[in-house]
Amino acid sequence: MSVTVKEIKTLARLSKLDFDDEKCKGFLGEFDEIIEFANTINDAVVGDTESLKEVGGNEIALENLREDIVCESLPNEKIVSNVEAEGGFFPVKRVVK
Amino acid sequence: MKDVISTLSKKLQNKELSSVELTKAYISVIEKQNGAINAYVNTTFDTALKQAEYADKLIKEGNAMPLTGIPMTLKDNIATDGLLTTCCSKILRGFKPYYDATAYKKLKEQGAVLLGKTNMDEFAMGSTSETSVYGAPKNPRNLSRVTGGSSGGGAAAVCANLAAYALGSDTGGSVRQPAAFCGVVGFKPTYGAVSRYGLIAYGSSLDQIGPITHSVSDAAVVYDAIRGIDKMDMTSCETPSSPTKLDGQVKGLKIGIAKEFFEGLNPEISSAVNCAVSAYQKAGAEIIEVSIPDLKTALPVYYIIACAEASSNLGRYDGIRYGYRAENYSSVDEMIIKTRTEGFGKEVQKRIMLGTYVLSSGYFDAYYKKACILRERIKGEFKKAFEKCDLLFAPTAPNTAFKLGFSGGNAIETYLSDVSTVPVNVCGLPAISIPCGTDKKGLPIGLQIIGGKFADGKVLFAAYFAEKEGLCTLPEIEGGVKI
Repeated sequence: MSVTVKEIKTLARLSKLDFDDEKCKGFLGEFDEIIEFANTINDAVVGDTESLKEVGGNEIALENLREDIVCESLPNEKIVSNVEAEGGFFPVKRVVK
Repeated sequence: MKDVISTLSKKLQNKELSSVELTKAYISVIEKQNGAINAYVNTTFDTALKQAEYADKLIKEGNAMPLTGIPMTLKDNIATDGLLTTCCSKILRGFKPYYDATAYKKLKEQGAVLLGKTNMDEFAMGSTSETSVYGAPKNPRNLSRVTGGSSGGGAAAVCANLAAYALGSDTGGSVRQPAAFCGVVGFKPTYGAVSRYGLIAYGSSLDQIGPITHSVSDAAVVYDAIRGIDKMDMTSCETPSSPTKLDGQVKGLKIGIAKEFFEGLNPEISSAVNCAVSAYQKAGAEIIEVSIPDLKTALPVYYIIACAEASSNLGRYDGIRYGYRAENYSSVDEMIIKTRTEGFGKEVQKRIMLGTYVLSSGYFDAYYKKACILRERIKGEFKKAFEKCDLLFAPTAPNTAFKLGFSGGNAIETYLSDVSTVPVNVCGLPAISIPCGTDKKGLPIGLQIIGGKFADGKVLFAAYFAEKEGLCTLPEIEGGVKI
C-alpha cells in the first residue's frame, strides 16, 4: 500500500507541520518504507484479532491515583518565566477580532 | 570494573579529598576533553561547585549518604529547575524548567553534584545520538564511531571518566544500547520503578529513567537512590530494594536462553554472549532453553506505540509558553505550524507523522489497536518464559558501535538495531547491559540480563557475577579523572 501526497498533506495538517510539495515528495518514499515496516505486525496476527486478549491499559495501579483535589500550584511568575510575559500572561497575536 | 562511587565516597568520607576538589578535577577534564567527545551540551559548573560545598558540609556534619559529593550528569531531557533542558532540540532552545525531575530531586537530597546536561538524540528519538541539534557525541573508545543512543552523551561521559555516573532515559534501549557501545553499565529498571515526573515525555508507557555507571555495584547504589513511588507520577510503583550484598554467587540460578534473540546474530556478538553464559554455567547456574515466538514482532509494535504516544506528547510544543518561537506569521495557527516545522528535526517530524497516521480514524484498528493487542501477547510470552527461568540472557545489540554517519542511510536498518532492547520496554521489564568482550575492531559488546517485572534486584545480583569474574574488564580511557 502506498501513501499518497494528499495523505501526507492531511497528516501534516493534523500534526501542525508544514509539508510543501517538495518536502512531501522527499518524504513519500521514506514514509512508505516505514509503513511497510509497521505492516509486518500483520505477520504475527494469526486468525481473528478480536479473539485475542483485549488491551488492558498499561497496568496502572488504581490505588496509586490521588484524590481529585486542588494542590498547590507553581507560582505564575515561574510559569511565564520562559517568555517575555505581559502582565503574567503568555503573549500571542490577537485571536478574536 | 571499578566501583567508582564507593571508592570516591570512601575518599570523601575519610577526608582524603573534598567534594569541591573532586568537582574541580572533573571540571578540568571536561574542559579539556569535551571538545573532542561532545558528551556535554550544557555544563552547570557554578551549580556543581555550590552543590559540592553543600556536600562537604554534609560530610563534615556526619550526614553523608552514598552519593554525597559525587559528581554526575543528567540527560538533557531530565528537568532541572532554572537550568537549561532542551532535549537537544531547537524547539526547546533556551528552555529553563521551573521544577526538578523527581529523580534529580532525590539525588540532590543525597547531596549529589550536577556537572551538566548530556547529549542525546533529539527528544530521545534515535539509536546513535546523531539527531541531536548540538551534533553527535563521539565514542571515547573510537572517536570515529557513534556512542549509541539515545543517551549517548551520558554513556560517553561515564566511559571517558568525565562523570562518576549519569542518568539516562530508556524508551526502547536508550540506556542499555549506548552503555553497550561505550563499554559501560546501563540499567533500565522495571517500568514505574523510577518516577517519570520531570522526564520530558517521548513514549509515556515505555519511558524509564535509569543509571549509566562504571560498575554494577554503582548502578545498584544509584538505582536505590532514585527509585520509589511518587505522587507526581501515577504509574510509579514500589520495587524491592537492591540486594544489600552483591556476593556474586550464581549457583542454582536458572538462566533462560531464548533462541529468537540469537537468530541471524553477528557471530562475534553471539560468541561473546555465549562465552559469558558458559562462565555462569561453570559457576553452577542452570541453562534452560525458552522461546519468545513473537520477539521480532515487538519491534514494529514498539515503533507504532512509541510514535503514537510521541505524536500526542509532542503536541504541547507550540512556541507559546517556552522554547523556540518562529518569526513572521499572521495568525496563532500559522505561528504554531511554523514553530513546529522549523523547531523539530527530520526524525522527530517523521515519528510525529507516523504516530498521527496510526492513530487516525481509518488506521487506528489496523495499527495502534493491533499493536496494543500484540503487546499483551508478547508480555504473556515473557511471563511464560519466566515461569521456567529466573532471568533471560541476550545480546544488548545485534551490532557494535556504527561508524558516525552510517544511520543517515536506511531508517529501517537503524530501527532494526533496537531488536534486542525494545521487547523489554514493550513489557515493562528490568534489564541491564554489561560489557562482555570486544569485537575484532576492539569495540565493546554488551550482555543483556533481563528479569521479570520487579526482579530488578535479581538482575543486578546476577550481573555482579560477571563483574566479579572479570568478564567485563575493558581498558580505561585516558584523559578523564583518575579514580
